[in-house]
Amino acid sequence: MRHFILGALALVLLAGCATPPPPEPGSAASKIVVMGKFKGIAVGAIRVARENGFLTAKVQLSNITSSNQTMYYRFAWLGADGFPVGDEDTWKVLNLYANQATFLPAIANLPQAADFRLEVKTP
Amino acid sequence: MFARFSILAVVAVLVSGCANTSPVLGSKNINYGDTKAVETVTNEFGSTDLQMIAESMTRSLAQSGILHGRPVVQVYDVKNKTSEYIDTREITTSIKTQLMKTGTARFASDNTDMQSQVDQLKLQNQSGLYKKTTVSKTGNMVAAKYRLEGSISSIVKRSSDYKDVFYKFSLQLIDVESGLAEWMDEKEIRKTTER
Repeated sequence: MRHFILGALALVLLAGCATPPPPEPGSAASKIVVMGKFKGIAVGAIRVARENGFLTAKVQLSNITSSNQTMYYRFAWLGADGFPVGDEDTWKVLNLYANQATFLPAIANLPQAADFRLEVKTP
Repeated sequence: MFARFSILAVVAVLVSGCANTSPVLGSKNINYGDTKAVETVTNEFGSTDLQMIAESMTRSLAQSGILHGRPVVQVYDVKNKTSEYIDTREITTSIKTQLMKTGTARFASDNTDMQSQVDQLKLQNQSGLYKKTTVSKTGNMVAAKYRLEGSISSIVKRSSDYKDVFYKFSLQLIDVESGLAEWMDEKEIRKTTER
């Protein structure tokens, strides 16, 4: 009985330490890269389209707290081979009011961009 | 003899152990930073403002679809209507560079390059110094289909607790033949300092 309890306890501890599974390729989560800390803001739906030859993206962001939040972000544009195209984007600041939901629009730097990553960080 | 050799060997080992293997030379107080970082040192016009304006305007124009068939564009200096000194040529240079990289437009010599262009054509055609087959002929310069011009203005408000600076950058693409503005966009930036 004692061995069973110890075994069960070990299993619970191991499960608690397990890293979450990686996001599925192509999913919204797979496009978000958290740089260190990212708290109080949730990433929702992502819309990607090609307009006049350029990849465009709209990312839904929601402030899930009852206080104003500031976040830093930038898009990293990737070619069909998964490697970056063109120069890196500038880091930008986004302020979100309490419980505000907004869409973050972006246009790719070059027509060769086929995919993107959104790098995010809160102060 | 053995003792002397041992001391020399120990000194050699110690010296080689202390050799500087770092590729850095000079003061540790000086660092290279991220050129794309958000700069908030003061609330005057800064590198992040310049980069954000250039990025936003270039992408909006390139993706608008107006630049069909890589038209020739003449870029004019951005008018500085703010109370600050801003090197607006750097804004136009960044926009021009980024548009060039997208491959959506070609650029005619602007007002600052024109004199050098004319001087070079005159030198090639009038000096008699060059082999005729290699001389660039006059009368073949490509005229601009569009001109790109913009302005930046600011509203500055101060109180005992706050300083608020609001920048508005406007850019428009005008068809030279018709005089019609075919594309326009704005970028607004607000910077607030709490004292």
